Amino acid sequence: MNEPQETPDREDHGAAPEAGALGRMINALGVVFAIGILASAGILFLEVILRYGLNKPTVWAHETVIFLNACAFVFGGLYVAARDGHIRVVLIYDQLTGWMRRIFDIVISITNMIAAAFFAWAAWQSLVRAVWTPAGDVRLETSGSAWNPPTPGLLKVFLFVVLCVMAVQFAVLAINYWRKKGDS
Amino acid sequence: QEYTFKFQSSDPAGNANFLLQQGWAESVSEKTDGRIEIDLLPVETIVAHTETQDAIAAGIIDGHFTDTSYFAGKEPAFGLIANPVGAWSDPEQMFDFMENGGGNELMNEMLEPYGLHFIGATTPGLEAFLSKVPLEGVDDLKGLKMRAPEGMVQRVFAAAGAAPVNLPGSEVFTSLDKGVIDAADYTVFSTNHAQGMHDVAKHPVYPGFHSMPLVEVSINKATWDSLPEDLQTALEESVREFSRSQVAALAEADAAAVAEAEASGEVTVHDWPDEERARFRAIAKEEWAKAAEASEASQKVYDTLTTYLTENGLM
Amino acid sequence: MDLFGFLPDFQSMGIEMATLAMFIMLLGLLITGMPLAFVTLLVALLFALGWFGPMAVPLITSRIFSFVNSFVFVSVPMFVLMAAILDRSGIARDLFDAMRVVGGRLRGGVAIQTLLVAVVLAAMSGIIGGEVVLLGLLALPQMLRLGYDRRLAIGVCCAGGALGTMVPPSIVLIIYGLTASVSIGDLFTASFLPGLMLAGFYITYVLIRAYINPAIAPIPEANEISTGEKLRLLKGLILPIMVVIFVLGSIYGGIASVTEASAIGVIGVTLSTVIRREFTWSLMMGAARQTLATVGMIVWIGIGASALVGVFNLMGGIDFVSGLIIGVSENPTVIVLLMMAILFVLGMFLDWVGIALLTMPIFVPIIRDLGLDPVWFGVVFAMNMQVSFLSPPFGPAAFYLKSVAPPDISLGEIFRSLLPFIAMQILAVAILITFPGVTGR
Ligand code: NA
Ligand code: NA
Repeated sequence: MNEPQETPDREDHGAAPEAGALGRMINALGVVFAIGILASAGILFLEVILRYGLNKPTVWAHETVIFLNACAFVFGGLYVAARDGHIRVVLIYDQLTGWMRRIFDIVISITNMIAAAFFAWAAWQSLVRAVWTPAGDVRLETSGSAWNPPTPGLLKVFLFVVLCVMAVQFAVLAINYWRKKGDS
Repeated sequence: QEYTFKFQSSDPAGNANFLLQQGWAESVSEKTDGRIEIDLLPVETIVAHTETQDAIAAGIIDGHFTDTSYFAGKEPAFGLIANPVGAWSDPEQMFDFMENGGGNELMNEMLEPYGLHFIGATTPGLEAFLSKVPLEGVDDLKGLKMRAPEGMVQRVFAAAGAAPVNLPGSEVFTSLDKGVIDAADYTVFSTNHAQGMHDVAKHPVYPGFHSMPLVEVSINKATWDSLPEDLQTALEESVREFSRSQVAALAEADAAAVAEAEASGEVTVHDWPDEERARFRAIAKEEWAKAAEASEASQKVYDTLTTYLTENGLM
Repeated sequence: MDLFGFLPDFQSMGIEMATLAMFIMLLGLLITGMPLAFVTLLVALLFALGWFGPMAVPLITSRIFSFVNSFVFVSVPMFVLMAAILDRSGIARDLFDAMRVVGGRLRGGVAIQTLLVAVVLAAMSGIIGGEVVLLGLLALPQMLRLGYDRRLAIGVCCAGGALGTMVPPSIVLIIYGLTASVSIGDLFTASFLPGLMLAGFYITYVLIRAYINPAIAPIPEANEISTGEKLRLLKGLILPIMVVIFVLGSIYGGIASVTEASAIGVIGVTLSTVIRREFTWSLMMGAARQTLATVGMIVWIGIGASALVGVFNLMGGIDFVSGLIIGVSENPTVIVLLMMAILFVLGMFLDWVGIALLTMPIFVPIIRDLGLDPVWFGVVFAMNMQVSFLSPPFGPAAFYLKSVAPPDISLGEIFRSLLPFIAMQILAVAILITFPGVTGR
């Protein structure tokens, strides 16, 4: 029998070096959303106990869980970008060496930056409608349920912020790929 | 044609409501001699059902065919006017309120600041209530685990002693099937029946007692303002005629589905006596008063509604 | 608009050429090595700008918002979290050591048991994503450790993990039922046997491969493991089986909804680590961080596809696709085959949410008009979605697996490993069309 090997390496490699200080901050902030995911499991379990055990379903459990997960999903895209962990098809990319790869990295990062900036601009439009009433008063869009939390409004604000930071993160990546002279 | 409008419905493609709405789109073309063509799209083809209002205002789509209560999160008054639980016992009453009781004007007063113009109202009719357990009246609601997604309906059931559970439409079937919930606010009898809901919830209450949603047909305000008056009138007429034919068609489909369900011997259709319906309505009315406090517009909806109901001897 | 003068005027191309341009652009950008999620988002952005102008861009962010703000996807992080905890504790290793004992002298025994685990997982969940990741974290490294052929192990994890939408409960079938207004219960009943049939194909394939070439699926030598050792190893089954009983029991006992049950699974495996005295705060946080990174990848891939479908629909994609079908033939079989071809092609570029949103509204009325059984077609549709999960270049199951597989396993290797499984899925689609009776209809 083969000697049982240790389970594979699951070490957290953190942010990509090219992501800079911003990347390290994003990576550190991930803890908050990771805790949000753990909390969702607990909240759903609690809801089951309260409903099945005590016949007292909550009005807040599902909406809270949706919100925590939605934030984790949105932030997750940024988190993975900072860690350079998004899935790519590397058929050609892997054949590239030196300056060619560097150019690819720079162009891809700049393209992503432009796209993220466009999305941030578009997210701003929906943010305006979710934060201010037509009369100009501040009123965060709510879910419309009996509990009626302002989670849709908060999520739209959060999406805007994340897309802005994402654009900056791609800019940082582009700059650092630019600086990194032929050492790949 | 002079105008081509994209309208998104809040109903899926194979749903009876959607098929009827396609008939409306054709009628608009006929009425206007082809000057207006409506491209009617099923739910979520362009944006999610809760996002159509923003998409219309932004000019991405031109109009929508949707349950107004989806926008209660933007303005609580949309929730109150869309489903004043227990106010209507017949679609004709609601149509009269909209057309002659100030409802249409109220809708436009609320919608126009958001960049939309309200063309007219329709409804699938009184929704049936899905239940696994026999329900004969308000007392049976006590402790009933039931799915209720929207604000007003959820609050009224909570006030009646039920235990509302917040579940998305996609989980209703499995949750009823396995008994996670005992009952659900879903849609009209015939659609419930077609989707197999009565296979897992064999004690529907029909006619329903709880909900008759206001379905609005609205269009981008600037687009509306740019239309010549004869086309505006044609659109308004088309929606008015559609609302009556939809109610008639669905009532007929409901009757056929009820007959089929009863003939199967598997399903027991429950009909609440008038006293029980009145008791439920009384509970609901207390909730309207509370909902009126949510905003200025809500108060206005409440005042207009109660005035109409009082003047017409419905309250 | 002048600001975007650099973009070609897509509208003047017409929908046919624009669709072609869209596919070419997707492929072209994919192979540059641009992250997948951004490839679809970028193509959606370019077409929104080039066809409509900047006013259409909020459509994309609106779809991002709606995609993440839904309860349906909550089960994905729950499954991933479960997997990450199992993997970081010793539970996964012990489970597979025990499975090796159970597999005994049966060639391919561990792969077959992995497929059985996949069927059990499929009965717990309605969507894929979480399950592929779970098998990728749990079974893939263990099968590699036990000396299984890499490609066989990869294929078993991806294809097995994708079964979640074929075995009830299934969100694909639920959405189909809501769209087509047909009984969801009937759909579940009709898909049960075809789902098992597909799993059966996979198992048969593993057996055939393993008996033709024993080297790809090593078994313990006779007497290699003593009886006492076997008993000790078998204990590794107890906790995982308990968790499965909790989760399935809570669903089928009417205690929890499908999504809630996935959270019960998380609590179950957490308790298991406590019982094994492996529970630490750092284990939980490591697992949660990994979950964040994994769902960040998975969800953004879905977001991109959803955005692209929204833009394509706004361009008139629905009319275009239905135009492809209507008028081609009077023969129902030809039309169904054409639909399958369209699904197959779309499956190469989009994930199932996008495909479902695009094609169901078109196909369902046609199927009804042809007098075909919409329940049967729903099962065929779900089976075809199985292909889309695996087929390159856009194969979500392959991406999900890649997100957790050891780094030396490339996407290319994953796709090559999936080819025989895709062939079996196509065979299953063909059987459902030729012998509709398999669905019991
Ligand atoms: Na399933
Ligand atoms: Na695919």
